[in-house]
Amino acid sequence: MKNIVMKTPFKQRLKMILAETVTQIANYAIILILSLLVGAMVIYLTGKDPIAAYQALWKGAFGNWYKVTDTLDRSTVLIFSGLAAAIAFRTSIFNLGLEGQLYIGAFAAALVGFTVKGLPTGLHVPLCLLAGALAGGIWSLPPIIFKLKWKVPVMVPTLMLNYIGILFTSYLIAFPFKDPTAPMAGSPVLEATARLPKLLRGHTLNIGFPLALAAVFLVYWFMFRTKLGYELRLVGYNPSFAASTGLPVKRSSFLAMMISGMLVGLGGSIVIMGFFGRFMGGFSVGYGWDGMMISLLAQNHPLGVLPASLFYAALANGALTMQSTTGVPQTVVVMVKGTIMFFVTVQIFSSAIRRRFQKWTSTSAE
Amino acid sequence: MDFDISRIITLSLFAATLRMTTPILFATLGGIFSSHTGIFHVGLEGLLDIAAFFAVVGSVKTGSPWGGLLYAIVACLVASLVFAFVHLELKANEIIVGLALNIFAGGLTNFLLVAMLDSTGFYQSPLIKGFSQVDVPVLKDIPVMNELLSGHFPLVYFSFLFVLIVYILLYRTPFGFHLRAVGEKTAAAEAVGINPKKIRYIGLMICGTLCGLGGTFLSLSYLNMFSEGISAGRGWVALAAINFGEMKPLRSLVACLIFGFADALALRLQQFGLPSQVVLMLPYASTLIVLIASAISREAKKNAAAKQTKIGGAAEAGA
Repeated sequence: MKNIVMKTPFKQRLKMILAETVTQIANYAIILILSLLVGAMVIYLTGKDPIAAYQALWKGAFGNWYKVTDTLDRSTVLIFSGLAAAIAFRTSIFNLGLEGQLYIGAFAAALVGFTVKGLPTGLHVPLCLLAGALAGGIWSLPPIIFKLKWKVPVMVPTLMLNYIGILFTSYLIAFPFKDPTAPMAGSPVLEATARLPKLLRGHTLNIGFPLALAAVFLVYWFMFRTKLGYELRLVGYNPSFAASTGLPVKRSSFLAMMISGMLVGLGGSIVIMGFFGRFMGGFSVGYGWDGMMISLLAQNHPLGVLPASLFYAALANGALTMQSTTGVPQTVVVMVKGTIMFFVTVQIFSSAIRRRFQKWTSTSAE
Repeated sequence: MDFDISRIITLSLFAATLRMTTPILFATLGGIFSSHTGIFHVGLEGLLDIAAFFAVVGSVKTGSPWGGLLYAIVACLVASLVFAFVHLELKANEIIVGLALNIFAGGLTNFLLVAMLDSTGFYQSPLIKGFSQVDVPVLKDIPVMNELLSGHFPLVYFSFLFVLIVYILLYRTPFGFHLRAVGEKTAAAEAVGINPKKIRYIGLMICGTLCGLGGTFLSLSYLNMFSEGISAGRGWVALAAINFGEMKPLRSLVACLIFGFADALALRLQQFGLPSQVVLMLPYASTLIVLIASAISREAKKNAAAKQTKIGGAAEAGA
């Protein structure tokens, strides 16, 4: 493989990279415009003004400095769950249990947050995050063990553990760890030392966001710059080929699943420690599921997860403002997201654009 | 809290089992069709959601549960057609399309709930006309049978009838033979003149119709309402039932009955003051256990078969 790349003339390689970059940018631009048009059509059909609605949406997401940091804060958990999905999907493991792993991780972090007392923030916060990551990781393991031991397909068990995990945490806050003073079903309030330090006074944005950025680059480095990550990608690309060439398929699957669970557990912990301050029943509005969509939108690439998460966060925050100021139901963005997903999965634009470039990249001499 | 087992395990528990089995059974039978054509249909859950929603809309619009059923089936057919087009024509991965269908179905029903019925989260209204129970002529006069088998909703009887119909369709008709051929050996089926794409389209449409029936049962029987996430994982449970039954309708029915029983038991135990959060885990835990048990037995069978051929081969070599 490497040889072939080396033999291609430099100029042609440059052309190929350029063509692919333009293809991807054009592809996403077309998809974005089309899906916004579909959204506009739906808004129009509900009898509202699409332009005013989109203006409100933009204002809600990026209207002022507070909105911008709010959107960044909202994107934090999405980045983590997007990365979790990306690493699992890249290894061809359909971990549909992100939502459950998120809840279990978040609860573990909260548990350490409200039971352990007297630690300085510098110790308490890392301890909570560690607990959240470990719990998320452990909760993700049974399905992969079932798969490796008895060949049970991963999808259904991960999904069942979603329900079981969410019910389990709601049991915990309804009985053993019930806080009667909580406005809704919730755990006791976290110690102040377990709260994530804010980045700016008066903003919701906390150190969770830079942690998420670090996670993006760490996962990228792991997947594309280490031997283990290379094995993961090979296993994902073709499991039977990887097995016949002697790659440790089992180890790779196990590792990918565990890292996936840990990442999303970390994301859940950050929402609790940064935003809510206590574990709340039903706190996740489908962050785990959004993570899967984000990963697919990013073509399961860790670096692509970042812009995709920001986009999702902007849509979510913008939709709230859109609903309150123009009366357009925030669920309209579902239509936008659905259209995007449709065109991302079918890949018709990128292949059409690529075909246009084919002649240009294949002529190397001129 | 008095824990008298005879008060929990009653005839009405078994009657409840039959009705809790119904939606899972419809989805399972639907999934069997797509599985036989070689398509692992992850989108059953989404189809149930869509059906449950449009059944309510149809019931309100037409004033009859049968109108609701019609709406639900049409909606599921449209969704299945999109699924089929994206997967078969545009060659997108079936699992990803299925996942997208599930997530999109959740969002779409949420959105339409606001846009069409002007409510958020759930919709309940006297305008929704649900099915009424039917008494079976002879059975209703036989002591035990009347409590167990009579007085169910029409779709309950349909679902069990459909097991038989699906069995005959799959194993006793040329169409069923073609369907199974496409799933098992696509190239061979093509070589004898079967059009795999056409068969897959038909399979997915039948699957959609059956999910339409299942979703309608969810929203138009007992509680006449639609709520967010009404399918509650039943589409996935159906996939487990198909896995257990190895795509055979009768074997899958056994799994569906187990899951239906777990559902009914969970409902019953809640009335005995057990924490609902724990009791509601029961159906999902039972699904996990059934999946693992069937996988273990399958592995054991395979190992035994491998041993047999090894011994046979050794004996042959010895001779």
